[in-house]
Amino acid sequence: MAVEAGYASDASAVLMTPRQRWSLVFSFVLIGLGFIAGINLRDSSLNQSLIYNNTEAGITARYPQRWLLSEAQDYVFRVEDTAQPGFNTLIEVRTLPVGPDTSERNLLDRLTLRRSQTLIDYTVLGYDIYILPDDSAAVTMSYSYVARDTSPFLEGVSAIVAGLDLLMISRGQAVIVSFRAEASVFQRERATLDRFMQSLEF
Amino acid sequence: MTEVFPAIEISAEGDERRASVPVWRNIVIQLGMIIALCLFLVILSEALSFKPDEDISRILTVGLLLFVPGVWLALAVAPEAQSASPRRRLLGVAALSALLAAAIGLPLVQDFFRLGEWLPLETVARRILGFTLTAGVVDTGLKLLALRLLIYPKELRRRSDVVAYCFASAMGYSFYLNLAIVMQLQPSLAIAANYVLANIAIQFASAMFIALGLTESYFGDAFPLVLPSNLVLAAASTGLIAPVFTSIMSGPLGLAGNADRPLYGSLFLIAAICLAAAVTYFLYSASERREREAFVGGGDSDGG
Repeated sequence: MAVEAGYASDASAVLMTPRQRWSLVFSFVLIGLGFIAGINLRDSSLNQSLIYNNTEAGITARYPQRWLLSEAQDYVFRVEDTAQPGFNTLIEVRTLPVGPDTSERNLLDRLTLRRSQTLIDYTVLGYDIYILPDDSAAVTMSYSYVARDTSPFLEGVSAIVAGLDLLMISRGQAVIVSFRAEASVFQRERATLDRFMQSLEF
Repeated sequence: MTEVFPAIEISAEGDERRASVPVWRNIVIQLGMIIALCLFLVILSEALSFKPDEDISRILTVGLLLFVPGVWLALAVAPEAQSASPRRRLLGVAALSALLAAAIGLPLVQDFFRLGEWLPLETVARRILGFTLTAGVVDTGLKLLALRLLIYPKELRRRSDVVAYCFASAMGYSFYLNLAIVMQLQPSLAIAANYVLANIAIQFASAMFIALGLTESYFGDAFPLVLPSNLVLAAASTGLIAPVFTSIMSGPLGLAGNADRPLYGSLFLIAAICLAAAVTYFLYSASERREREAFVGGGDSDGG
């Protein structure tokens, strides 16, 4: 038997004792468990979130913990993934007061007019409906444009950015959630937007 | 025939042929040569400010990439042809490990686990745990799979066979990782030398713990949890070396960003390789000595 003398003939070398068989079984089971634990660790790290609460605008939402939060006059708040190479994936929330006759399409067209003057090669790709967690519908507009580094000295390559606006009107206020990511990772990053929308209250 | 007993056998024709190529001595020589070249390139770039133009730098980097398997082929694979009982599957194990790294290992770590997106932002403890449970588990599992498919247990005749095959697996696996890094990042010469050394250190440490586990399991018929325990150590060695190396490589933050410290990185990797080799060799020797004593004791009791 292979184990008796530390060396063995070729004929007996293929034999394995029950202990050796169980060793292999346990080893591959352990690797499988380790792999699952790794997935769990990745998910828990990627999906950790913080609460943003703005009582003035009446907005509460959860955003990814590792994303950078900023507030400005143009929007209520913006969170962006600064760890992303190239264009930072971002979610931006803004509110607009609207009259009783204002339709969603009017607001989206106004956004299109403004962006087409400031963004390079801005193109609207289409309109659709997004079902919110409370089963109400939001109008969406998908678009693309070319983003360039703000500093010309960085000599970076321009990125094609895909975007999605979600527009909801409630009690005389329109809430626009804009999600933008580099086109190559847009679908993958879309899950972050879905989680964000699950937690959004306004 | 085992290395425990005389490594020379006398053939029927009377010519002396080495029964097996000495593994540990070969590993030390190979690692010594690789370390010497990498350290030379780092010192050349950092201390002597040798900055070759892009084409020469690329040629030197490719030369470094090919030097590693070249040394292994010359010192580990070629001498097997002169051996009385050659290890026939060294090349096969290295090739399969490289293919597994290319087809499964690197895509899993880069595209599925996306370590670059979340692990660098974690605390040190979570980084070590994260590398262990992702890259460590994947690398260890794939190397074990290559060994199981090609050599375990039918190609194992001596304890040293396990070490030789595990080292072959580490060489194949690290070769593909080195190739991918150089192709993707096109780093400077000093950084390329450090990445090559880092991959070799990580895969070598992990492979040697796998070798210890397989040796104990197969030749010592050890308790079934001994091999899994060694796999944990193998994955943990990856989990320790990878994040500490990247931390040491990154210098303090300054006005112009944070500068790299390749020399510090090289010294850490050399220490890691020496420590892994010393620990695994000590455990291997102790286990071999125990087996020899048990064998001699058994022989005496039988009247031999």
